[in-house]
Amino acid sequence: MIDFIQMVISGIAVGSSYALMALGMVLIYKASEVPNFVQGEMALLPVFIAYMMIYSYGYSVFIAFFGALFFAMVLGCFLEFAVVRRAKNPNILGLIIVTIGLEMILLGLVSWKFGADQRIMPFPISSYASIMIGDLYISTMDLVTLFVALAIMIVLFLFFRFSKFGVAMKATQQNPTAARLMGIRTNRVKMVTWGISATVGTVSGLLLAPVIMEPYMMWNPMLKGFAGAVVGGMTSLPGAVFGAYIVGVVEHLFGGYVSMDFKAVVAFAVIVIVLCVKPSGLFARHYVKKV
Amino acid sequence: MKNALFAVLFGAVVVFGMFSQGYCEIGVTDTEIHIGQWGPQSGPAASWGAVARGTDAYFKWINATGGIHGRKLVHHYFDDGYNPARTIAGVKQLQEQRGMFAWVGGVGTAPGLAVKEYLMQKKIPWIGPAAGSWHWVTPPHKYLFNVYPLYLGDAQLLVEYAVKKMGKKSIAVVYQEDDYGEQGLAGTKHMLEKYNMKLAAAVPVAMGDSDMRPHAMRLSRSNADAVLLFISPVAASRIIGIGKAMNYAPQWMSSSTCGDCPLMIEITQGLYEGVITSSFGMLETGEKVGDLQHINDPKHKLVAEYKKEVYGKFAARDERWGYTFVVGIGLAEPLVEAIKRAGRDLTREKLVEELEKMENFRGVLGGITYGPFDPNDPLTRIGQQELFLHQCTADGGSRILTDWIDTEYIPMGK
Repeated sequence: MIDFIQMVISGIAVGSSYALMALGMVLIYKASEVPNFVQGEMALLPVFIAYMMIYSYGYSVFIAFFGALFFAMVLGCFLEFAVVRRAKNPNILGLIIVTIGLEMILLGLVSWKFGADQRIMPFPISSYASIMIGDLYISTMDLVTLFVALAIMIVLFLFFRFSKFGVAMKATQQNPTAARLMGIRTNRVKMVTWGISATVGTVSGLLLAPVIMEPYMMWNPMLKGFAGAVVGGMTSLPGAVFGAYIVGVVEHLFGGYVSMDFKAVVAFAVIVIVLCVKPSGLFARHYVKKV
Repeated sequence: MKNALFAVLFGAVVVFGMFSQGYCEIGVTDTEIHIGQWGPQSGPAASWGAVARGTDAYFKWINATGGIHGRKLVHHYFDDGYNPARTIAGVKQLQEQRGMFAWVGGVGTAPGLAVKEYLMQKKIPWIGPAAGSWHWVTPPHKYLFNVYPLYLGDAQLLVEYAVKKMGKKSIAVVYQEDDYGEQGLAGTKHMLEKYNMKLAAAVPVAMGDSDMRPHAMRLSRSNADAVLLFISPVAASRIIGIGKAMNYAPQWMSSSTCGDCPLMIEITQGLYEGVITSSFGMLETGEKVGDLQHINDPKHKLVAEYKKEVYGKFAARDERWGYTFVVGIGLAEPLVEAIKRAGRDLTREKLVEELEKMENFRGVLGGITYGPFDPNDPLTRIGQQELFLHQCTADGGSRILTDWIDTEYIPMGK
């Protein structure tokens, strides 16, 4: 029983990173209707910028982290404005390929500039400190990640519900034409959505970096975040978060009770099952279009 | 008359061409020797790209100090991204378009296996694959000279030390799901059988899996008091960190792959202190058990010389000085020595002859020995079998725990 509870706790802990990535992907999917495969690298580059600010320019961790978040916002906006928006009459497949291309460019840029060596980001909290309750443990970093993920979800909920721009974003996602007719600058909304998505992803990256930093660090969280978003529903923010936590917990239970060898791929098996049973995702509404 | 004139002219062109080329071995001219290498300069394994860059800087240093018998070493290395499909494509392109005299290094078992048959069929010497796989010597090939000690040897030393010296009663192993990890697991099981012990846990790690929590939990539940790591440095740092968070503190022991103490101390924020790892280089004559080592300590004369002359003058500005760079030098040393011994009249067969005469050749790595080729004797191509153990210290150095120890060759499958 203790083992089961520990696996669930660990699954929730790792699910928080996946949830942040899933949130970012769903934000962009709702705005631009494209699964965003550059989500990981939109987080990766700002994380390395933060590292550079600390070690090359001597800034404090606090300032470097805020600098990274600001850079992420600008980066996301820039990618949408300069690349995605310029795609001429794109179909979904075309946009996916564009995001994959951007992913390769950003990954190559980080690898070229910073090298492939592993490093770690300084952080006020030790990556290895933990809280023990009997035989159960949760690391302090995992707790921080969990609380930050929940805080971001609450902030986003309040933002979409009560802020003018948040409502404009919802309107743009639901009906871009009608939103434009109502005076909403939909291009600007999409651009800012990409910026927010990059910022949310960067939070995940900054919380992973104190454990280990290397150019491929965001690949796994991005894939699992995508899996979580598909499970929960690519059009549902809370659904994506729940889906990410489900992926984390299922992974850990599978690894603990069934097979460690296939732990890494069980998330993708879950995607297939969900797509067969409920293609829109567990928590999203299925829309039917009459033609 | 016209035909006779044509024949004379044609003959003159052929003769002139032969003399102007000056030499008749592929990859060798009057002034150059062409050596090829592949390595992951990009991708998840890119940190191992330093091996090829170490070799490159070493060759440049040799050229700057006069070359070998009037010839310069021209090093052709390319990025295969640790992708075997790219490795074979790049090797074939270089070999068939440019013509390499020999190949050196080459990171990874899977990439190496992709090109092994091609190189051996064409009788092209390949010295020092940068992986301790038994595939290089089982079966042995006349033109393939292993240098890197087999991972089986790491397992032997680590288990022996844990059981006989430290009195550990319960040993677990964490292994990467590839040839490297599988050999570590096989070697560990083989050794534990010798001591009538069973493995407390065998925990596989999938390539690319970044979440080590379940693995650490399985280890802690096994109550193993020693854990052998045959995984990547990133995975090792995560497992040890999570172990610390869980208050699980066995004696961590690792293969030479995670033996870069300065790097591991840095990325584990000091948790790697006390980890025992095997090593196949940087133990010079005069150093003894209990001595402290550090890759930046000038007392390691050959390493210090390489740092100053090779790394200092020929490495790229942002290149990290570390074990991986030094391995790139160490794997190339036997090739360079054999080229020197072969003399000016250099052919592939002469190179093989000189390599086969090598007995206990020592450069920056341990003693390397080959013998006249025997298709039934892997030891004629095994190269280095000796390893030693050291324990990482807080400053990124290490304390020597054993002298060089010869490991036995364990036939594949046993």
